[in-house]
Amino acid sequence: MDCEFVPSVCSYCGTGCGVLFEVIDGRINRTLPLKSHPVNQGKLCIKGWNLHEYINSYMRLKGPLVRENGRLEKATWDEAVNQAARRFTRIKEEYGPDSIGVLVSAKITNEENYLAQKFTRAVIGTNNVDHCARL
Amino acid sequence: MDMVKAAKELLLQDKVDIFLGYRKLDGHQIPHGFTKAHVDDLDQLEISLNRYPLEKIACDLTRKDPTLKIGILARDCSQRALNLLYTWDQLNPENIETLTVNCCPSSLSTHGDCSYLKPKITGAYKKAHGIDYNDSPKNFMAEHDSQDRLSRWMYEFQKCIKCYGCRNVCPVCFCKECSLEHPNLVEPGVLPAEVPIFHLIRATHMAGRCIDCGLCEDACPAHIPLRMLYREVNDAVSDIFGYVPGDHIEKSPFSIIGKTVELTPAPMDV
Repeated sequence: MDCEFVPSVCSYCGTGCGVLFEVIDGRINRTLPLKSHPVNQGKLCIKGWNLHEYINSYMRLKGPLVRENGRLEKATWDEAVNQAARRFTRIKEEYGPDSIGVLVSAKITNEENYLAQKFTRAVIGTNNVDHCARL
Repeated sequence: MDMVKAAKELLLQDKVDIFLGYRKLDGHQIPHGFTKAHVDDLDQLEISLNRYPLEKIACDLTRKDPTLKIGILARDCSQRALNLLYTWDQLNPENIETLTVNCCPSSLSTHGDCSYLKPKITGAYKKAHGIDYNDSPKNFMAEHDSQDRLSRWMYEFQKCIKCYGCRNVCPVCFCKECSLEHPNLVEPGVLPAEVPIFHLIRATHMAGRCIDCGLCEDACPAHIPLRMLYREVNDAVSDIFGYVPGDHIEKSPFSIIGKTVELTPAPMDV
């Protein structure tokens, strides 16, 4: 049996608490707070303590889905990205760039958030971009 | 280092299948399960100042494979936790090998490896309105009347953010069904936590269980002096039954079925 511990950062909010995943035979079994992490100093909130539950959830989305005829169908990344690009382009041409808004997330990294706002402003051409942690 | 040699011997002589210790990864001292296949990793074995519930990890591994032989780097508190887990049939003493760490200093050994050797600092506001981390239950009972004690405990309890960290980190919390998750006792999804009932449920369940390792207090984001609360309930158990959890491998008075013990109700102030 194999048991290792992987330090990571909690993906729930922008605080960035250090967590430690207990990995038994390749499966995350438990989440512990990372005691030596300067942000949370060995403490976590209820969401952080239960990170392994959503990682192992059977309801977790592991690939892209595309809605076709009102039903979500499994698709490849290329199909999904092309589909999204095509529809966004159509909406932008038909109703103008300000008809599109982008909401980004605290669960993705700073760099990804930066890219999302760059994409919204430079590619789509609107200032309609906001973030769930803009408190 | 003798510890490395001893751990390597345990693995190479097949006395244990996995050895739970600490190593440094990305600058953090974290637990690791060393195996025979990667026995040279043991050169990185460290006695971490950061304590993690290794016994709880051993329980997780045992649940996956009950025959697994586990070696553990054991502090005094780990030893107490292991004794208690043997008592409650969560671990089999025949499957556990311990390598003892010099942690709590005594007259024989002045050096110790534990983050608890420095007393915790209690701020002035907490001292005035709440409870000093380093106070003893007996002293606290003597110094404050019941009204004052209630208001001080309520000050501490109402800070609770209901993270369940105290239960999640506890090496002796192994129940499959936890009273703290029972919807009739603790309403799910409600904040602030129902005080003091939430903490009193846990406190009663810690009676005869708590081995005073202090991991719960370490994990508490609200700085509630949980260690003292559980010491108080444990004092009641040792006064009545003469049982100190984790001291020996003996049956706990709470695990013996069929024997009735009469308790006389008494006011809290005696």
